[in-house]
Amino acid sequence: MKVPWTWLNEYVDLPWETQEAADRLTMAGLCVEEIRYEKLDISSVVSAKILDVKPHPTKPGQKIGLVDTGTGEFQIVSGAPGFAKGNIILVALPGATLPGGLKIEPRGLDGVVSQGMAVCSNELLNGQPPRPFEDIILLPPGTALGVSAGQLFEIDDWVMELDLTINYSHCLGILGVAMEAAALAKRPLKLPKVLEAWSWAGTYGSIKPESYDEGAPDFKIDLPEPELCPRYVGKIVENVRFAYSPVNIERRLQLAGQRPLNLVVDVTNYVMLETGQPLHAFDADRIAGNTIIVRSSKPGETILTLDDAERELPENTILITDASGPIGVAGVMGGNTTEVTEDTKRVLIESAYFDPLTVRLASQKLKLRTEAALRFEKGVDPTAQAAVAERAADLIARFSGGTPVSGYAETNHLNVEPKRIVLHMRTVERLLGETFSPATCREILERINFQVEESNADTQEAIAVTVPPRRVDIHEEVDLVEEVARHYGYDSFGTGDLSKAVPGGLTDPDLLCVDRIRDFLVSHGGLECITNSLVNPEHLACLGWESDDPRGNPVRLKHPLSSEESVLRTSLLPGLIGVAASNIRFGIQGLFIWETGRVFFPAADRLPIETRQIGLVSYGRLKPKTWLGGPEESGFYRMKGVVDSLMDLLGISDVSYLPKAGMPFHPGRSAKIVANMSTVGEIGDLHPVCLKHLDIPVPVTACWLSLEALLAVVKPKEYASLSKFMPVERDLAVIVPEEVSGGDVIDSIRKVGRHLASVILFDIWRKPPVPEGHKSLAFRLLYQPQDKTLTEEELAEDRERILEELRQRYNAVLRS
Amino acid sequence: MKHNLAEIEARILHEISEASTNDELERVRIKYLGKKGEISALLKHIGNLSPEQRPELGAAVNTLRNKVTHRIAQRKDELDTQALEESLRRDTIDVSLPGEVFEVGGLHPLTKSLREIISILSSMGFTVYESREAETDEMNFVKLNVPHGHPARDMQETFYLTDNALMRTHTSPGQIRGMLAMDGRLPVRFIVPGRVYRRDQTDASHHPVFHQVEGLAIHVDVTVKQLRGVISALMNRFFGQEVTVRLRPSYFPFTEPSCEVDISCVFCKGDGCSVCGGSGYLEVAGAGMVHPQVLRNGGYDPDEVSGFAFGFGLDRLAMLKHGIDDIRLLYGNDKRFLSQFRGI
Ligand SMILES: [Zn+2]
Repeated sequence: MKVPWTWLNEYVDLPWETQEAADRLTMAGLCVEEIRYEKLDISSVVSAKILDVKPHPTKPGQKIGLVDTGTGEFQIVSGAPGFAKGNIILVALPGATLPGGLKIEPRGLDGVVSQGMAVCSNELLNGQPPRPFEDIILLPPGTALGVSAGQLFEIDDWVMELDLTINYSHCLGILGVAMEAAALAKRPLKLPKVLEAWSWAGTYGSIKPESYDEGAPDFKIDLPEPELCPRYVGKIVENVRFAYSPVNIERRLQLAGQRPLNLVVDVTNYVMLETGQPLHAFDADRIAGNTIIVRSSKPGETILTLDDAERELPENTILITDASGPIGVAGVMGGNTTEVTEDTKRVLIESAYFDPLTVRLASQKLKLRTEAALRFEKGVDPTAQAAVAERAADLIARFSGGTPVSGYAETNHLNVEPKRIVLHMRTVERLLGETFSPATCREILERINFQVEESNADTQEAIAVTVPPRRVDIHEEVDLVEEVARHYGYDSFGTGDLSKAVPGGLTDPDLLCVDRIRDFLVSHGGLECITNSLVNPEHLACLGWESDDPRGNPVRLKHPLSSEESVLRTSLLPGLIGVAASNIRFGIQGLFIWETGRVFFPAADRLPIETRQIGLVSYGRLKPKTWLGGPEESGFYRMKGVVDSLMDLLGISDVSYLPKAGMPFHPGRSAKIVANMSTVGEIGDLHPVCLKHLDIPVPVTACWLSLEALLAVVKPKEYASLSKFMPVERDLAVIVPEEVSGGDVIDSIRKVGRHLASVILFDIWRKPPVPEGHKSLAFRLLYQPQDKTLTEEELAEDRERILEELRQRYNAVLRS
Repeated sequence: MKHNLAEIEARILHEISEASTNDELERVRIKYLGKKGEISALLKHIGNLSPEQRPELGAAVNTLRNKVTHRIAQRKDELDTQALEESLRRDTIDVSLPGEVFEVGGLHPLTKSLREIISILSSMGFTVYESREAETDEMNFVKLNVPHGHPARDMQETFYLTDNALMRTHTSPGQIRGMLAMDGRLPVRFIVPGRVYRRDQTDASHHPVFHQVEGLAIHVDVTVKQLRGVISALMNRFFGQEVTVRLRPSYFPFTEPSCEVDISCVFCKGDGCSVCGGSGYLEVAGAGMVHPQVLRNGGYDPDEVSGFAFGFGLDRLAMLKHGIDDIRLLYGNDKRFLSQFRGI
C-alpha cells in the first residue's frame, strides 16, 4: 500500500523525518518496504490574475487575456470557460516545463501571440491536454500572485510503500496507518469531522451521532442472503454536477497509485484509501425500481462490466442487482449500465460488508484483484459503513456542490458485539519472558484504541480488554500479547538461554549413517549435486522407462509451471544424467557426481510413497595422465569399486552382482546389485539408445542404490580378535574358458579355501601361451590363520583343494 | 724394541687411515689384531722375555693394541658416516616435482551449510526430524491455522498433486508431525530440514524447489527471549562473526506473536550495501511463538506449555555465507561451481 507522507500527516503530526517514521512503523509490524520521493517535472508555472479579456478576432471561442504574475504581465490565449476577468489562474510562463517533457514557448494563433498557457489539472499533473469538460485551474480569490504550482499544491511528496501482512487489515486505510503512527508517537489522531462525529476510531466502532438527521431516503435495500452480504448502506447525493477533483485530491490519488477519473469516482477511491472501507458510486437514476438487491449469482449469469466486457459470472459470486438484473459484482467491479457519467445528477454511494471468503473466491476466479476486493477479503470494520458513506457524501457535496439527502437506506443483519478478552500478565510473561505490569499493558493497548479495565480487582494479575471491531485479526489472548509486544518493541526485551534440560527422542538414527556415506563419496572423488525433484516426463521416457515400469509412471503435478518440471522424480538418475549432459556442454572433461534424496511413486488414495536413494553418475577423464601415471578414466569397474568399498564401509559383506539390469543400462555392461537376498540397486554403463535420445556424445556410467534398503542391512561391526600368527601370501594362476565369469571363480576360491583373508585378482591374460578362447586369471591369496602357523603341507593341501574345485566347476587348468 | 714399536704404530695408523672401505679396514684389523696378526705376535714374543723386561714392554704393546683398536673403531665410524652421506646424496630426489594428487569430491554448499546448522543447533539440544515432502492439505495448511480460503494461502503458491495432496510449501508441517511423534513428551526440541516447493517462476532469487530449516522448541517456559537467544547463537556461529539480531513484528498464521528475523548485514556490518538494499539488515527467517491452536493440533496444551518456532531459508543462508548471488547456481550443479566448495 502506498502512503503519501503529507496525506498521512493530515491525520497526525509526526515528530519524525520520513525515514525514522518508516523505521518505527516497520518495527511495529507495518513493514515499510521503500520510501520514494515522487517529483513532477514542473517549472515556471505560477499563479496569475486575469486583468482583462477580449475575444480572439478570428478564432471563435478563443479569448485573449492579459495576466499579471505580480512581477510581469503576459498575453495569454485560452478558450477555457474559467478564463475570465478577475479570476486567479495558474499560468505556464515562457520556458515552463510540464510533466512528460512538455515545454511551453510563445506561439502564434492566427496572428495573436500567446506567451504562455493557462493550465488545467491534466496538464499540470500529466502534461496531457484537458479532458472533456475540463476547465483551467481556478485558484481561490486572494491567492498571492507569482506563487509556483509546487507551493500552491502538494505536488512533490514522499511516498511510503507498505508491505502489509494480511493480519493488518485495519491498516489498509491511511487513517489506520495514522492510528498506529499516532500510538507510536504518542500524538493525538486528527479525524475528519464527519468521522469524528461518528467516533469512527472508537473502541466500539462507528456510532450514529445523537444529532443525526434520519431523513427518509426513497430507496430500498434488500439483502436476501445475509451470510453473503449482511450489511448494505446506500447514501444518496442529489444535484451533483459533473466535475474533476481538485488538484490535491487528484495528486494524492496518483501518489497512492490510483488513476483519477472524475470527482464522484475519485471520492469513493479517496475515502477507501483513507478509511479502508471500499465504496462504489452508482448513477441512482439508472437503478431500476429504486431498489438494490444483493444476492448470489445464478449459473450462466452474465454482466456488462465498466470496461464494456460481457463477463460470465462464476457461481456463488455476490451480485448487486436492481429490478432489471445485475448492476455490479460485489467488491470487484461495477456494471456498465449504472456507471457515473457526465450526465449523472443523483448518486448512490454503496458502503457494504461482504463475506470475505466469497469475495476472495470470486475475484480470484474473475482474475480481477481490485483494491476493493483486497480489502473486503481481509474483513472490513463491520460498524463503519454508514460513517464512511457520510464522509464520502460530504466530500462530494463539498467539491461538486451536490446535496446529500438526509439519512441513508440500509439493511443490517450484523449485530456486532464488542469482543472482550482477558489478558493475564502470566501469559505475557510466559511467552515474552519479560514481566509486564497491568499498567504498562493498559497504556499500550489504550493507545491503539482498545478499552481496558482491571479484570480482577483483588489480584491485579489480569486486565479485561475490549477489542475495536475493526481489529478483525484479534481473536484470543495471544493476539493481545503480540499487540503489547510489537508496540513495546520486540527488540526491547533481551536474550535468553534455553533451559538446560536436553530432550530425548526424535533422533534420526539414519542421519549419521547417511552422513558417513556422503563423506565416503566425497573422499572417493564424488561431487555432491542437488537436482530438481520436479522433472520432465520426456526424460523418463528417454531413459527407457515406459508405462510398464514404475519409474515411467510418476506422480504428476496438477498445475505445473512447465512440462519440463511437471512430474515428481522416480529416480535420481534423470537429474544426475542431466547434470552430466550440461557439464559436457560446458566442456568439462570428466565428472563423478552423486546425490542423495527422495524419489516418489504414486499410491492409490494416499500420499505418494517417498523413498530415499543414492544416485551416482560419471563420465570421461576423472584424473589426467601425469608423470606419475594415469590417466584415470570413468567406467564400469571404477564405479563398481566405489560401490564395493561403500558396501565394505557399511559392513554389508554378502553382495553380488547379477548380470544385466534393465533400462537405462547397456544389457551387456550392467548388473543388479543384490545384498542379503534383496536388490538394493543397479549399476552399469548407459544404453547407447539412451545416450542418443539425450544427445550425450560420450559413454556415461551410472548407479543407483536404495538408501532405505542399504540402511536396512547395515550392521554395526562386531569386533574380531586379532590373530597372533603371521599371514602368508601365495599366488595362484588358472586358465579357464573365456565364458567363465571371474566373479564366480573368486567366489569359489573363497568358499573352499581355508584361512583365507582376501583373494585379489591381479592379472587377466588372454594372449599366448594361453590358448584361444581362454583366459588366465592370476590371484594373490592372503592366508591369515587365527590359531596356528600354517605349514607348507597345509598350504599345498589348500592349493590342491582350490584347484580341484576350479577344475570341476570351470574346467580350469593350473597355469605354470 | 721400544724404538721398533713406535715405527710399527706409525705404520699401522697410516694403514688404517688409508683404508677407504669397511672391507679394507677389516683386512687391516685382521693383519694386526687377528690371532695371527702382528700385534698378537708381539704379545706372544713378550711372553718369552725376561721377567725384568716383561712389564715395561708388555705395557707398551698393550697400549699399542688399545690405540689401534680405538683407531679402527674411529675409522669405521668415519667410513660409515661417509657411506651414509653418499647414500643420502644418491637417493636425493627433485622435491619440486608435483605429487600424486588424489581427486577429492565435495559436498554441495547447501549440505555443508545444513551440516553447520545441525551441528550448532544440536549443541543446544535440537535433534533432527525428517518429515515427508509430499503432504496433505490438512498438514500443510489446515493444522497450521490456514483453513481453506484463508488469504495466507495466497502467500504460498502451491503445487497440488490431487485436491488433498500437495508438495509441502514449507517445512512447517514437520512441526505437527514431529509433535505428534513426540507424543506429549517434554521438552520438544527438533529441527526439520528439507526441500519445499512453491509455484514460483525461476529467477535469480526464486526456484520452484528450495530448502528450509524449521526449528521447534516447546517446554513449560519457552519465551521470545529464548527464541532470540537461539537465533543469535546460531547466526553468530554460522557466519563466524557477531551479528545483531532484530525481530520485526510480522504475521504467520501458525505463530503468535510472529516476527521476521533480520540480522545485521554480514557484508557491510550494517552500514548499507547492495546486498542488503542499503538497509543494513538481511531478512533470514520467519519465527514466532507457536500458536495455541497449533500446539493443540500437535497434542500439547497451550495453558501448560509454550513454544517457539523458526524457519530459515537454507538457500539464502548458504548464498549469504558464500556470496552467491543467483540461486540457479545452487541447482545448476556446474562442476566449476561445485568444485569451489570442496574445502572446509
Ligand atoms: Zn549490507
